[in-house]
Amino acid sequence: MTEHAASSAFAQGLQGCPICTSVGAAEKTHCGGCGATLHAGWGDSIQKTWAWLITSVMLYFPANFLPITYNRLLGRESESTILGGVVTLWEHGDKPIAAIIFVASVLVPLGKMIVLSWMCLSVQMGSNFALTHKTKLYRITDFVGRWSMIDVFVVSILVALVQLGNIMAVRPGVAAVAFAGMVVTTMLASHAFDPRLLWAQGLKDHKK
Amino acid sequence: MVTTAGSQMVCHECDLLIAVPALETGQKAYCPRCNYLLAAHRPHALAMVFAFAVSGLLFLLLSTAFPFLGFSASGQERTVTLLQSIAILVTEGLPSLAAIVFVSIVMIPAAFLIGAVYVSSALKMNRLLPGTVMMLRWMLMLMPWSMAEIFLIGILVAFVKIVTLADISLGLSFWAYVLFTVCMTVVMLYPDKRRLWARVWALNDD
Repeated sequence: MTEHAASSAFAQGLQGCPICTSVGAAEKTHCGGCGATLHAGWGDSIQKTWAWLITSVMLYFPANFLPITYNRLLGRESESTILGGVVTLWEHGDKPIAAIIFVASVLVPLGKMIVLSWMCLSVQMGSNFALTHKTKLYRITDFVGRWSMIDVFVVSILVALVQLGNIMAVRPGVAAVAFAGMVVTTMLASHAFDPRLLWAQGLKDHKK
Repeated sequence: MVTTAGSQMVCHECDLLIAVPALETGQKAYCPRCNYLLAAHRPHALAMVFAFAVSGLLFLLLSTAFPFLGFSASGQERTVTLLQSIAILVTEGLPSLAAIVFVSIVMIPAAFLIGAVYVSSALKMNRLLPGTVMMLRWMLMLMPWSMAEIFLIGILVAFVKIVTLADISLGLSFWAYVLFTVCMTVVMLYPDKRRLWARVWALNDD
């Protein structure tokens, strides 16, 4: 861990701008090269990450338990939730697609919340555990988050197309909005988190 | 100031501070610690960005002009355009959902491509037009919020869900949107950030 820390920009009091790649002092709030606001300029990273995370957790429940679509088939009305939709797809033989939706809509958002909470807690408790792996995990989390929007688009396309009166029709449920909000807030949470903070404690120990 | 000749960089992935040498055309530099692509010298980056951004905008425009998708069952048929497919969410009582979809699949990509046309033509003419720096910065910040490719996957999943119930037809605008997404991806991935900015800074100094 010490070797990793020492060769990092953070350990040398430097940071790279994610927008223009120029290198500057770690405590700067704005990039000298392009003027972008850097992590230090966004304010308390951990507090912001928590705020977005808590919002997304609150949206997670309506998103998963309220109906995401109301369906009508030959006069028969039914509602489906995200998980219900996955089960229906699975039973109708489209197992790979069901798996994709399950991963994108259920596992990824949940995993993202757990990972980011773990990250925030380990920064706050000054943990030195598996820093390299945690950094990697953060990058993966940050990268895959936007793909959860798939289900929102699936709903919007279904609603747009399946409009044949009494024969069959799909209407959107309020869970679709909650779900979209949840994806956006988890993305904001992961953008607010500054992964370099994970290394701060290790650096203190290293200097002792 | 960073130049295209060798310069220091920080790996976005693992925060390694490293000197990246000047790259020949076609060469790439990867992070020795985590293998992240740090820099690439791809030929004709500005021309590529300009060409694909203009084409992308045209395809996006076309994708709003013709039928997008069609759906038929029991002798009834329904065709929608891209914008109708979003507008129906408003009439179904969820304007907030319509706004999220519109912004992420039309507005942000359009803004991004307009910015790309502006910045690439300015740099190609070796001039900094007003707002070039701000525009390039905003484009790079907006990138994760454009969801064109995710929308396409969403359409495919929706098809799988309803293919047993009805016949689906793909309109001209659907194919225009596919091509738009391809152009968008090229504009996002082809140019090297560091080289674009080096060009901006060189013009700033003159």
